[in-house]
Amino acid sequence: MTRALAADEAPNPWFSPSYVSDNWHTIVGYLGQHVRLTVGAVLLGTLIALPLALLARRTRLLSGPVLGLSSVVYTIPSLAMFSFLAPVTGPLSATTVLVGLTLYTLVILVRNFLAGLQGVPADVREAARGMGYGPARLFWQVDLPLALPAFMAGLRIATVSTVALVTVGVITGNGGLGQLIVGGFNANFYRAEIVTGALGCVLLALVADVLLAGVERLLTPWTRAVRA
Amino acid sequence: MRKRPHVLAPLALAGVLLTAAACGESGSSGTGGGSSGANASGQACAPVAGQQLVVLEDDQHLQNADNVVPAVNAATAQADPALVPALDAVSAALTTDQLIDLNNAVDVQRRSATDVAAGWVQENIDAADLQRGSGTVVVGGANFTESTILANVYADVLDAAGFDASVREVGNRELYLPALISGSEIQVFPEYLATVTEFINRQVNGAEAEPVASGDVQRTLSALKPLAEQVGLVFGDPSEAADQNAFAVTQTFAEGLGVSTLSELADACGDGSLVLGGPAECPTRDYCQLGLEETYGLKFASFRELDSGGPLTKSALQQGEVSIGLVFSSDGALAQQ
Repeated sequence: MTRALAADEAPNPWFSPSYVSDNWHTIVGYLGQHVRLTVGAVLLGTLIALPLALLARRTRLLSGPVLGLSSVVYTIPSLAMFSFLAPVTGPLSATTVLVGLTLYTLVILVRNFLAGLQGVPADVREAARGMGYGPARLFWQVDLPLALPAFMAGLRIATVSTVALVTVGVITGNGGLGQLIVGGFNANFYRAEIVTGALGCVLLALVADVLLAGVERLLTPWTRAVRA
Repeated sequence: MRKRPHVLAPLALAGVLLTAAACGESGSSGTGGGSSGANASGQACAPVAGQQLVVLEDDQHLQNADNVVPAVNAATAQADPALVPALDAVSAALTTDQLIDLNNAVDVQRRSATDVAAGWVQENIDAADLQRGSGTVVVGGANFTESTILANVYADVLDAAGFDASVREVGNRELYLPALISGSEIQVFPEYLATVTEFINRQVNGAEAEPVASGDVQRTLSALKPLAEQVGLVFGDPSEAADQNAFAVTQTFAEGLGVSTLSELADACGDGSLVLGGPAECPTRDYCQLGLEETYGLKFASFRELDSGGPLTKSALQQGEVSIGLVFSSDGALAQQ
């Protein structure tokens, strides 16, 4: 075994290409987990939030409790949330993180979906119904296109905030790039590892946001046609 | 008793910088405690700066025996009788000095934990001596350097013995120990004898259970075995290698006084000029200042509030601000340069 340098003289750069290349497989593995957890949480969140938003639009009686409940869930600290869930979903399983993240997306998604739906002019819906549109057709051809900008805004915020929150999953060993951040702190402040994890999160959030913005442009060609 | 600074780490680092900036003449600040100097009859044990840190032997067993010990899910251990002997081979070969070198290779020289672990196994374990086993095994490791290295060492040795082993990084003991007991996600874990004994003791006998771990390895192990059986775990042989609370001084200080154990230090430092550094709770804890005073009869001129074996304590020792400080016995910074 080779003998050591003094701790202070040891190299500890903020950026280290050799760290990234030496640990490429680990980094890609954690990045993959990060992406899976983010996509899974936002998709599940959407599937739950959309019916809730549709339900909340029907009456004021329902919109209060639905919005209130999702906001209350959001106030639970993420560390505590994962600790509460762990005994139920299995202490080391990624499900713990996925369920927690999904719950957190709800407050953003339900609010934005509801705002989008409420923004659809009542007379437009009235006219569609007069033309014989059923509830499903009304949703797909009237509500959804008109509410789409608000829907996409909600999805973008939810995605970016979920990318950041995944890192807290590190307490169950499923923190995606957060594993690198905490691992670096615990390995005598290995800056290269910490920065790789942190920058990875930032880049991932940016890429996800740009992708979703692109999807929004593709889905709403009429907004550009009006401007042009 | 084992605490790792997690989020506090960057704060601690900032603290070191601030401390260094605040007391310009760092050489004098340690002993210049003003009033405390008055009742000290000499300066024999005043802090001495130096790069190399050495641990003074805890010859009266003040600290609990936190030797590295393999924890195995009982059903997994029973399914293949070659599993525990393969892990015992690691315990038999591993020493605290080697553990320090392994930690140093990763924490200071920035080599990867998997490479470092593979190197140790190649040098110290002869695959031909291992009983042959089979089946897949997942070794858990907590997310700090030493645990990751040990988990990789276990996995490499199990691979050499014919198992198909992989490593899974997990969080803290509250989460991974239930998982180890259930055995569905991880089956093997590198544990620390006294800490895991107390953890299981509290789980079996309630939060207020009488402590059963002590500084005696064999006594602690015999207390652990029946408890482990109740929860469904099997423990292998404890290694000589230990990661426990320890007291370090600079080598220059130790050589100047000619001391290598805490008892010798107590004999040499009767004049009460020692400056102790440690975490805030140190003065009221048995494993820290209280124990040093009661078990060894050490007298301190003053106490400096630093951290739990982290960068503050180590740099305060090296810069000659404290004479003796609380560290972890397997810290990579203790490697002989």
